Amino acid sequence: MAKQVIYHGQTLHILSAASLTVRTGESVAIVGASGSGKSTLLAILAGLDTASQGQVALFGQPLASLSEDDRARLRRDKVGFVFQNFQLMPHLSALENVMLPLELAGRRGARDAAAAMLERVGLAHRLDHYPRHLSGGEQQRVALARAFAPGPGLLFADEPTGNLDPATGRQVIDLLFGLNREAGTALVLVTHDSALAGRCDALYRLADGMLAGAAT
Amino acid sequence: MRRLARWAFALRLARREWLSGELSLLTLALAVAVAAMTSVAFFSDRIERALTQQASQLLAADLVLNGDMPASEAFRAEARRRGLRLAETATFPSMAFARGQAVLASYKAVSAGYPLRGEVQVRDGQGQVHAGRWAPAPGTAWMDDRLARRLGVHVGETVEVGGRTLRLAGILQREPDGAMDLYNFVPRLVFNQADLAATGLVQTGSRVRWRLLVAGSPDAVAGYRAWLAPRLPRAARLEDVEEARPEVRTALERARRFLGLTAMLTVALSAAAVAMAVRRYLARHWQPVAVLRCLGLTGREVWQVFATVLLTVAGVAGVLGTVAGYGVQLALTRMAAAWVGDGLPSAGWLPWLMGPASAVLLLAGLALPPLTALRRVPPVAVLRNEFVPTRQGVLVPLLALATLLGLSAWQVGDVTLAGWLLGALFGFLAGVAALAAGVLGVLRRLPLRPGPGGRFALAGLARRPWLAIIQTVALSVGLMALLTLTVVRSDLIAAWQKSLPADAPNTFVINIQPDQREGVRQHFRAAGLPEPDLSPMIRARLVAINGKTVRPAAYTDDRARRLAEREFNLSWRATLPAGNRVSRGAWWSAGSRVPQFSVEKGLADTLGIRLGDTLGFDIAGTLYRAQVTSLREVAWDSFRVNFFVIAPAGWLEGEAASWITSFRLPPRASGFGDGLVAAFPNLTVIDVTAILQEVRAVVDRLSRAIETMFALALAAGILVLWAALAATRDERLSDLALMRALGATRAQLRRTLLAELAGVGALAGLLAGLGALAIGAVAGQQLFNLPLSANLWLLPLGAGAGVVVVIAAGWPMLRRLLRASPLDVLRNV
Repeated sequence: MAKQVIYHGQTLHILSAASLTVRTGESVAIVGASGSGKSTLLAILAGLDTASQGQVALFGQPLASLSEDDRARLRRDKVGFVFQNFQLMPHLSALENVMLPLELAGRRGARDAAAAMLERVGLAHRLDHYPRHLSGGEQQRVALARAFAPGPGLLFADEPTGNLDPATGRQVIDLLFGLNREAGTALVLVTHDSALAGRCDALYRLADGMLAGAAT
Repeated sequence: MRRLARWAFALRLARREWLSGELSLLTLALAVAVAAMTSVAFFSDRIERALTQQASQLLAADLVLNGDMPASEAFRAEARRRGLRLAETATFPSMAFARGQAVLASYKAVSAGYPLRGEVQVRDGQGQVHAGRWAPAPGTAWMDDRLARRLGVHVGETVEVGGRTLRLAGILQREPDGAMDLYNFVPRLVFNQADLAATGLVQTGSRVRWRLLVAGSPDAVAGYRAWLAPRLPRAARLEDVEEARPEVRTALERARRFLGLTAMLTVALSAAAVAMAVRRYLARHWQPVAVLRCLGLTGREVWQVFATVLLTVAGVAGVLGTVAGYGVQLALTRMAAAWVGDGLPSAGWLPWLMGPASAVLLLAGLALPPLTALRRVPPVAVLRNEFVPTRQGVLVPLLALATLLGLSAWQVGDVTLAGWLLGALFGFLAGVAALAAGVLGVLRRLPLRPGPGGRFALAGLARRPWLAIIQTVALSVGLMALLTLTVVRSDLIAAWQKSLPADAPNTFVINIQPDQREGVRQHFRAAGLPEPDLSPMIRARLVAINGKTVRPAAYTDDRARRLAEREFNLSWRATLPAGNRVSRGAWWSAGSRVPQFSVEKGLADTLGIRLGDTLGFDIAGTLYRAQVTSLREVAWDSFRVNFFVIAPAGWLEGEAASWITSFRLPPRASGFGDGLVAAFPNLTVIDVTAILQEVRAVVDRLSRAIETMFALALAAGILVLWAALAATRDERLSDLALMRALGATRAQLRRTLLAELAGVGALAGLLAGLGALAIGAVAGQQLFNLPLSANLWLLPLGAGAGVVVVIAAGWPMLRRLLRASPLDVLRNV
């Protein structure tokens, strides 16, 4: 696939040739320098953005054939996200943040499922705390709970440790991989941390808009 | 940082933030506030000038010197020196002759320039009606229809006025100052003053009423009035419209209060918008301030920098808003042209100054406290990626209150009234906030299971309680204005107009002698008219209050002195007259013969008479003394027979009284009066239809002007709703983007937003209905002195209107948020 944008009359080639396959339960790392187009690739893979050329299929469904709402439903049912800056809703408590995707999907028992998930990430005592009262590591653990709560088939993580110190980052990553294994979720991890990337089944390097595979 | 550098930095910061759009919302909100305030100010300024002018038409001047001699040359010279325009009229009764008929006429000799205000309407021989400002040419006369009919003359024929023969140039249809002569029941003949001497009618001892008409700029008139007042000859008096006619004064007073109410609501709405915008701006600057502190700025320097930025905003928004306000007012004026007549007088200069000044004042009142909190931002906040609100204490509401009170009092021009309305408004705000908090608290605890959209909307509301409360309060102020302006206003206007019913009396019969009462009643019955309510009338002079002799000179107030000098018309009756309300004390029981008085409240206030005082009246040489046992409020604009002082039946009946009645004479029975006078030649029948029409026209125009003002306040309210929604835009945008990334469909987002708007609208509308109910009750009773039954329809109507208005106004704005891209979450919006 490829992605160009026109900015001030000039065409910028953000992605020129990227091809990638992720199988169930597989973990894939995409590494690259800042500005190499990692986030754009992630957005396209997750159906948050569209490719200029080529196509992306999630769970066998070509995203180009889906409307925006269909893509949203697909994300809701099968895709999870973890962001570098956590992206918790500041006005919702930890529990409510985790309940959100369950409620969006109209699942019954959202509260109990969310509480169980928070317990799993070690935040059983923090259910009613608001993001501003949580440390960075705790916030990211809430984000992990939120991402895994609906039981997604595919998880996208965008620099999940980018805002954390190394020790906390390691704990969060351990948790991420642990949950991933338990749930059998496919994982697409975007990072510039090669140590972190090294823990994935497959490694892809993005440079000058070209994605090159490098098995680990 | 040196002062100059600080200034330069602040201005650069202001410029940068403007370009980046950071200040747009605040500037816009403030400009809207100022535009709302100034358009009301401009418009009400022009309306009030127009009202004063129209009211002046009842005098045909701005000021009238009324005396039994022509005004001295010194008075005229002084008026001319002050750049005032002058005209003169002389009125006197005399017989007019034509075709061998003699009819008693009220002559009016008018000088060139008459009328100074308003227009005369004259119908020519072809039936064409001409309106304008002119006096009949020398050698000609106008007369009214009644006189022409009685004399049997037509336009072009001649009439003898004293020793002069005048040609009838037209039929007088309307004279602006005709209404001033309530008892001028004799038909009118108008001619030029140049012919006055030749008539030979004005001689020593003639009963001529001379009026010097004065008109000019309000300042010049006021200056002349102040100069003239101490130099008034005895038996001369000054008349202006405020004190000339009680019913006109009442109408103007009510109009002013209506205008004030509108202005106040507009101010309150505007302030809500500015407060929200300031809150948003400063909340977004917590972080940058922390950075500035890290970079070495002291707290004081931070304060100065942002104060300069805000001052610049106030200046720019003030000027923009004032210009916009002038534009809005121009559009309004065009809209209102058909109602308020051709060409309102231009607005004064004051609103031009008031605009920018009120922008600074409003922003200072609302921004200073949070700005001061900003000064205490610790540099360490730079490490915390969040806005830490500090406690602002009572300073904020107090300052905002002071600001509002100052602005409103300025606009209303009446501190007591502003206080009343502000009190009601703040009580309402506090009540709404408490209620909204209560409702949200309950919602948060209830295990509700509404539909998918409703669940998120409820969560959105209940999970951001303070935001929800602020929104609800802001919205309900707007809705309350809306309800007050529509339902309560029409209730009030209906109640007001009820006091001027279509079947108001149009004819007075005075001077009925006791032995003629039965005959008069029979005459009414024969004509198929309802039985007349005859009231006795005795001339009496107030000679003592609590045993102390009343000396007119002891009163400093003009009106009080005049009242103390003249004779009162006393009456007696068993029951409280219709249209009267006892405000203090109690009306006597039916059949009571205990000597006592009931006094009109306005008169009592003017003369310093209190409940329980003993009054002494001199009636034909006999002193009657009794206590004041009740004070009455009288609807002077009801055109019923009203009296300042009333005694119980039986006590004064020995004194010689004449009787008076008022009744509605249907147009088909217009000959009734002539027949009555033919049967009882001493009776005087006064046709007040013309006066009623004048007063009604004034009242109608007042209501229309007020409607226009309310339309403006309503528009301001909707603008404020938008400002309130804009203030939460960022938060919604990031929420929606995240929800979208988590898989929410557009329909889910739409339902969420709509349900939230509907929830806020219903809650705000319900509370607004309660508020409008309260305001209506308070305004009706305390301010307008009108009974107003509680209109419970306001509650469901309020909730429904809240949902409709909030969705209609908010949805176009929020709909754009649905396009929020889930991609934005990756971009850290």
